[in-house]
Amino acid sequence: MSKLLKRALKNSLIPAVLMIAGKALGIFILSAKYGFPLEIGNDVTGLFSTQIYFQDSDVTNFVNSVSDLVMLITIAVPTIYLITKTAIFQSTIQNPKTIVKVTKFNILKWITRDDTTFLKIFLWCAFLWLCSALIIKNSIEGDTYSWIGITAGLISLFCGFGSLKTFEVETNKVYPSNSKYY
Amino acid sequence: MRKSEVKKILLLVIEPLAFGILALLFIIPTITVVNLEPLTKTLKEFDVLGLSNKAELQITIVGGTHQAFEKERLESTDGVYKYTTILKGRESDRYSKPILEIVNNKDEETILEIYGYTHLPTKSDITMIVNDQVYRLQRPNGDVETQQLLLLPRQKYILYLAIENFSNVQFDEDFELSIKEI
Repeated sequence: MSKLLKRALKNSLIPAVLMIAGKALGIFILSAKYGFPLEIGNDVTGLFSTQIYFQDSDVTNFVNSVSDLVMLITIAVPTIYLITKTAIFQSTIQNPKTIVKVTKFNILKWITRDDTTFLKIFLWCAFLWLCSALIIKNSIEGDTYSWIGITAGLISLFCGFGSLKTFEVETNKVYPSNSKYY
Repeated sequence: MRKSEVKKILLLVIEPLAFGILALLFIIPTITVVNLEPLTKTLKEFDVLGLSNKAELQITIVGGTHQAFEKERLESTDGVYKYTTILKGRESDRYSKPILEIVNNKDEETILEIYGYTHLPTKSDITMIVNDQVYRLQRPNGDVETQQLLLLPRQKYILYLAIENFSNVQFDEDFELSIKEI
């Protein structure tokens, strides 16, 4: 089995689990906190047939929106962290001033080791796009607040741009620009 | 067969499997998150012995998935129940689905006034079926008929919605069903 495939499998596990956990925890913690009565049904036959019911449509909308937001945060925060970390690491190589700033903010740990690969960023970003697509679909259908859909769209757009920049940096390592030869 | 050859064959088998697992790592969280989206349903009220004792009409949505019916909702305002769904674009055929469960918890007979219609006339014959009895809601020419349904005391009914069209329907249509106790 290729090394790339092995790493892809290894790096996909955490975001996959976090995506489900974020959504499920969002629903159950919110229901417990506000005391919303919920019923778990099994009306449809099949593998994934469990359904969560709430009594009021406003409550359903609220719980769905907040759990979507929790899921988005769970995936977006590590993705943004990975992209920022890589950007800072690259910036320190090109600009010594960044090292001073990094020391000032006490985040030297972020740049001592380049353990963030493009593959990792790409996979996290793919899960973020998946989450955003689901949230946008929900907000178009009126099941999630529209501002959450817009936020999800903007975050995935910026993270997409960030992962593209990382890809550019990675390709520059393999094929450096002409000015870097001398 | 030499050990290295066995290893080579095993790798040939494992690699496509690993691709499948990687794809599943994206598919399973997506399906799970879609399945975790909460729905609205009137929850049963129980007394201390676990028995429902509220002497009133109880209407709940059946839910589930169907190729022709999508985004089902049930709302109740001032004793008037409004069921809405999207009738998907479909090939000419007859489609039916259980949509509502009606329970008359009263000790007396109850009559319901029911009428349903699509927002745009699509030449579909729309009927509802209760206890194998067919009630026409909307004729193919767009005429809407109001129906009365007699509910016997302490009886449970499943209301089916059926649509039939003799030509393909290219677009989705909004359908609304209004139920009022008289």
